[in-house]
Amino acid sequence: MGQGKKYIFFGGKGGVGKTTCSAAFSKCCAKTGDRTLVVSTDPAHSLADIFGVSVGPEIELLEENLYGLEIDSEIERNKYSERIKAQLTAGISPVIIEEIQRQIDAANISPGAEEAAIFDKFIEIIKEKGDEFDRIVFDTAPTGHTLRLLSLPELMGGWMDNLISKRKSALSLMSMIHSGEKAKQEIIDRDPILSILQKRKAKFEQAREILIDSDTMEFIFVINPEKLPILETKKAIEILMKYRIPVGGVIVNRTIPEEYSKGNEFWSKRKTLELQYMDMINKEFPGRVLTILPLLEEDIKGDNLDTVSEHFIKVKAKMLGEKLK
Amino acid sequence: MGIKKTIAKFCEDMSLVMKGAFDFKSKSTTFLKKEAYDAQDNFILLCFGDLLGLPLPTSYYTIELLPYLAEDLEAWERRMIRRNEIWQEKWAEFDFFG
Repeated sequence: MGQGKKYIFFGGKGGVGKTTCSAAFSKCCAKTGDRTLVVSTDPAHSLADIFGVSVGPEIELLEENLYGLEIDSEIERNKYSERIKAQLTAGISPVIIEEIQRQIDAANISPGAEEAAIFDKFIEIIKEKGDEFDRIVFDTAPTGHTLRLLSLPELMGGWMDNLISKRKSALSLMSMIHSGEKAKQEIIDRDPILSILQKRKAKFEQAREILIDSDTMEFIFVINPEKLPILETKKAIEILMKYRIPVGGVIVNRTIPEEYSKGNEFWSKRKTLELQYMDMINKEFPGRVLTILPLLEEDIKGDNLDTVSEHFIKVKAKMLGEKLK
Repeated sequence: MGIKKTIAKFCEDMSLVMKGAFDFKSKSTTFLKKEAYDAQDNFILLCFGDLLGLPLPTSYYTIELLPYLAEDLEAWERRMIRRNEIWQEKWAEFDFFG
């Protein structure tokens, strides 16, 4: 308990089985005594569908030791804009307030707002709930969305730096006109805008520290033995490595069980193809395959989920990087 | 070079120096003011460029600044729209005939 990585992200191409793996792995952790939280960062949530119970926008108990939450971007965005609107009242004319509220509502649906809201919430969860849980498992959206999400602190950090330096130079020019060099530092220190920007920047820095901490964090990719998931994951791993986000390995999901691949032309052909892709996987991700899961005869739910989570119990230590560390 | 020419040149230089010296205060303050307001406008542009149709990746985060910049925003928008006369403005900065 408490050994190995604490924050485990499951990612990969759409439809490879990310939610299955997140759900089964969080169950596996809960069963083996870890107080576990499973969080969906995918705007199109499916945790509730797989667990067969409703999962809300705030942390809820799903079963013994296991808690769940689906981040609702809209709720988070509304909370954020309400907070800003509440600050608007003091000393600003009603006409301008109305204009500003329109601007806030527009920014709320601007491109990037959804990701930003999800990002803020998931960092908040790690910072505020990190101590309450032994493991937090993240069921992420398909690769593209998640990569953008994880690269936010890097990109936004740069923007914040830029805004801070522009604000500082504007303030020092202003101070030259109105009050001279002496007051400059005081004006810079007291500027509420600079202080907001600096707080924001600090938040991105903290987020970045969390994301690159190889002692606590890992990103696990789920792939199928097929061409596109393999290629996409290869590119995704390169990008994560560029951002120094630790990659824990890959899970190969939906392999055809041996017993069905014999005596049937269609399935034996598929199996031959699959073996070729397994070679490709071993070549592209040397030493990184954590475990291999079979294609199941039914949709994943209830009993099936237990079967997969039993499987994960056997490889849990490996998945949490305990030996690899 | 004849002495007359040298004196003439000296007088011309001197007059420029005097002009510069006595005019310095008002002109530099005007320039400084302009630069300061430009810097302030540029800052707002980086925060709320989307109001003018420039999509910015940070617009979700900069709305936090609105309570403090709200009052300036309307005038800023008007100034920005006027900025299409940018060349005129740039020429005005070089004081050729003053």
